[in-house]
Amino acid sequence: MTFLHPWALAMGVAAAALPVAIHLLTRPRPVRMPLSTLRFVRAALRQQQARHRLRDLIVLALRTAAILALAVAVARPQYGEQPLVSDQQPGDAVRVVLLDVSQSLAATDHGIAAIERARTRAARHFRYRPGLRANLVVAGARPRPIFEQVSTNFEALRAELARCQVLPERVDVAAALEEVRRLLAPASAEDRARRELVVISDFQRGNWAKADFAPLPEGTQLQLESVAPATPPPNLAIVRAEAHASGSRGRAARLEIEVGNYSPTARTATVEVTLGGATWRREVTCAAHRTAVVAEEIELSQPGWQCGSAVLAGVEDALAADNLRPLVVRLRPPPAFVLITRQPGSQRPSASHYLECALVPDAARAAGTAPRLARVDPAQADQAALTPADVIVLDHPGKLADETIKLLVDLLRRGRAVVYVAAEPADAVNLKSLANAGGSTLRMAVEFAPPPLGQAPRERFLGFVARRHAVFGVFGDQLDALTTGLRFGGGLTSRGRDEAVRDDVLASYADGSACLLLTDSEAGTLAVLNADLGRTNLVKSPLFVPLLDELVGRMLNRRQSSRAAFCGEPLVARLPVEAGAAGELRITRPDADDVGERGEAFGRLMDEASGVVWQWPAPTRPGVYQVRRDREVVFAESVTLPPEESDLENLPAEVLTRRLAAGRSVYYQSATEDASRRDTVWKWFALICSLCLLGEVAALLGFRS
Amino acid sequence: MNVEPTTRFLDLRALAALEHLRFATRQRIEGTYSGRHRSRQQGGAGEFVDFREYSGAEDLRRLDWKVLARTGKAFVRLHQDETNLRCVLAVDASGSMRFGAGGGSSLAGSKLEYVQYLTTALSHVINRSQDQVGLAVLDGRLRCNLRPASTLTQVRRMQEVIAELDTRPSTQLAPGLVELFRQSMQRGVLLLLSDFLVDDLEAAFAALRLFRHRHWEVVVLHVVHPDEERLPDGTAYRFEGLEGEGVVDCSPAEIRAAYRRAFAAHLAAVRKFALAGACEYRRVSTAVSYLTTLGGFLVERAG
Repeated sequence: MTFLHPWALAMGVAAAALPVAIHLLTRPRPVRMPLSTLRFVRAALRQQQARHRLRDLIVLALRTAAILALAVAVARPQYGEQPLVSDQQPGDAVRVVLLDVSQSLAATDHGIAAIERARTRAARHFRYRPGLRANLVVAGARPRPIFEQVSTNFEALRAELARCQVLPERVDVAAALEEVRRLLAPASAEDRARRELVVISDFQRGNWAKADFAPLPEGTQLQLESVAPATPPPNLAIVRAEAHASGSRGRAARLEIEVGNYSPTARTATVEVTLGGATWRREVTCAAHRTAVVAEEIELSQPGWQCGSAVLAGVEDALAADNLRPLVVRLRPPPAFVLITRQPGSQRPSASHYLECALVPDAARAAGTAPRLARVDPAQADQAALTPADVIVLDHPGKLADETIKLLVDLLRRGRAVVYVAAEPADAVNLKSLANAGGSTLRMAVEFAPPPLGQAPRERFLGFVARRHAVFGVFGDQLDALTTGLRFGGGLTSRGRDEAVRDDVLASYADGSACLLLTDSEAGTLAVLNADLGRTNLVKSPLFVPLLDELVGRMLNRRQSSRAAFCGEPLVARLPVEAGAAGELRITRPDADDVGERGEAFGRLMDEASGVVWQWPAPTRPGVYQVRRDREVVFAESVTLPPEESDLENLPAEVLTRRLAAGRSVYYQSATEDASRRDTVWKWFALICSLCLLGEVAALLGFRS
Repeated sequence: MNVEPTTRFLDLRALAALEHLRFATRQRIEGTYSGRHRSRQQGGAGEFVDFREYSGAEDLRRLDWKVLARTGKAFVRLHQDETNLRCVLAVDASGSMRFGAGGGSSLAGSKLEYVQYLTTALSHVINRSQDQVGLAVLDGRLRCNLRPASTLTQVRRMQEVIAELDTRPSTQLAPGLVELFRQSMQRGVLLLLSDFLVDDLEAAFAALRLFRHRHWEVVVLHVVHPDEERLPDGTAYRFEGLEGEGVVDCSPAEIRAAYRRAFAAHLAAVRKFALAGACEYRRVSTAVSYLTTLGGFLVERAG
């Protein structure tokens, strides 16, 4: 326990002698009087002496206690751990206040947003004191210091602090601490000012669990002030909203909405999805601290880019911003195929014939929705032949020329889908050449090799299928029945690469060789089917056509299933080849009027060798952004809130002060622990003082009676 | 008898109202001369009282011959002798009797002054009845003892002594009384005027019982000053003892009740001792005029 005014204690001790002094000073001068009955006076005094001595002791004790209690009350005792950073500490100091403005600070508790409490607390650290220099770092996805260096312009800091608002971002703790380290770094060897860091945040578990304060300068006084309520407020959120076109053609889409319940009890909510002018409503029940996924196949009325949103209807929770999530889906027109093969089209049956039949079914051809497919001889596979294709299929191409390899890699990077059916030893050479040409942008999970010489090709069976992958997910429980009995002939052997991503192997044979491999390469995707379609019963299986359709659809729509763009974090998107030149495009937001010249307000569109690239260093608002050429939407992207911001669970104080503090002295102050409450004990001493005085009066009255 | 006042304590004009009163006794006494008071002797003179059957030892001169002749039985005639009174006024002149006096050597307002007025008047009244009156001044011992006499000279001498009385610090009364008892050979009436603020209260009454055993009539006049009965109002007082008891600082308000109880107990004790010793007890307050006190006293004794 410390005292705000310790001098009052010394005065109190001195004042404790006050009752005695008052007694001596105010003692009445006795009147002298001769008395014959002095013996009776003495007897009366003897009789009253014990009673009066007790009364005097009680009165003296109460009076002294009252004075001491008054002195302690004036001294303002403060209990509990004392803050490391306060205005009471003298000397030069460099103070940096790190203010978390991530989306979670918009959460309200008893009607007050956490950011309001954060601003109030931060303002206490920007009061002028001789020798104090300070700065404010507004921490979101990127740290934003108010001044480049610490300053004494506290008025400006307070003004900037008052303007701080919650950003729809998550906080990058590492970047923020690095900025703080730069600000706190001593300017010279003579700079021995005390270093102080005040972190004001809700200390969300998702953001702060990996915080590392070790890089801060030695001796930095670390004060963590939480503005999160003692118990996380209940919150419901849409943490993921995705729509994927089903297959490579048609207007069907698969809608997946993931609802997170960050509440101590299970809750039921209504998800309302608006997409392409249509609306769907579904009830979802979510267990406590769990997520639930609403998945549904929907049919959209029009092709092209469809925008919409998913909303939690009628939900009132702590964080309203995460109850809505934008949604984008593209229903592509029937794709254009180029089949590079040495096999003539008239050769039937052949592997290329099976492929042609699977990619362009007769039913689709009759309905007019059939994609276009062109057979190209490997020797004629130049840019003019391949560029119009959305999907390039290679089957029995033989040894490809280097120019063709380079062209394939280039098209792959620009977003083309390449399906390589590896059936003969030359394909191993081609795949290796592709990998070499692709370099770091094309890193296949396995390395293909021809089967050893002299070993007769034997039939192989599937040993593993990634049934959870979207390509196989559409088959559901029938997958086992469909894959049992499949025999594969031809093909290559494969060997896994240590640094590769194993999840890219969607199916493998019993001998461990990969059967189906999916590898991303910048905007495009390479699929390798390791089998000779002329020597397998897969082509006769009901699995073949839908599998190929899903595979192609997945490859074409890969962009949409990739990681969503989040507010405050860099957005880099490669536009489809058909989008045209950057000069003809502009970026719009359907629900906003601010359209910048060439999309400057929403980032920049740049022409690159692989096409137009959209770069936006820090998207500011969640929503759907469209790239238009005239009135035609050529690309759309949804910018959303990071889902981590919806989980309002915060880190326990022990974790922050012991595990993450890297051995530094840390003071932690919770939101419920108001600083003024530490200073309230003086009221109790004032009450004790009053009670002592009342007790004295009562004692005097009691003994008098 | 023409008595000119020789002391300021004798106010003949005031005492004129008491001219018709005499100091009477309630029991038979022994006197030197014949007087107005019944004597312990029942001789042949005096007022006839009764007959008593002749026992053979009486003086034949007192035999009633006429009754013998008429009845044949011998009776003697009993006559009550009357004699004069021997009264001793014993005055307590201890330090406590100064209470009530102002500062300095003056005794004005004190209990002793009141006693001086009262004893002077008493001596005048007794002497006017041709009775003998004496004076004994007591402090720690018998300071002065003027034997009873009825001469004017003796009375004047006694009144002079009374007028010159002064107090001496003493808390003993019994030694003086014992000494007075030893010097008093004949029976009489002893009037003791004291405040009885002594340490030897029981011994003092034991001495009084000696007088009673010798058939003295003992009258105890307990002199009380009204300011002794209750402590004065005020915050702080330094009480100084009148008999060398030192000083006491206190707040009277704190001990007022206890003091009142102690003083009441003292009054009760004195009265109890007096009545137990067959003494007549009378409380005399200095708040009442000595003439009123004296008048009441004489009327009461006259029966």
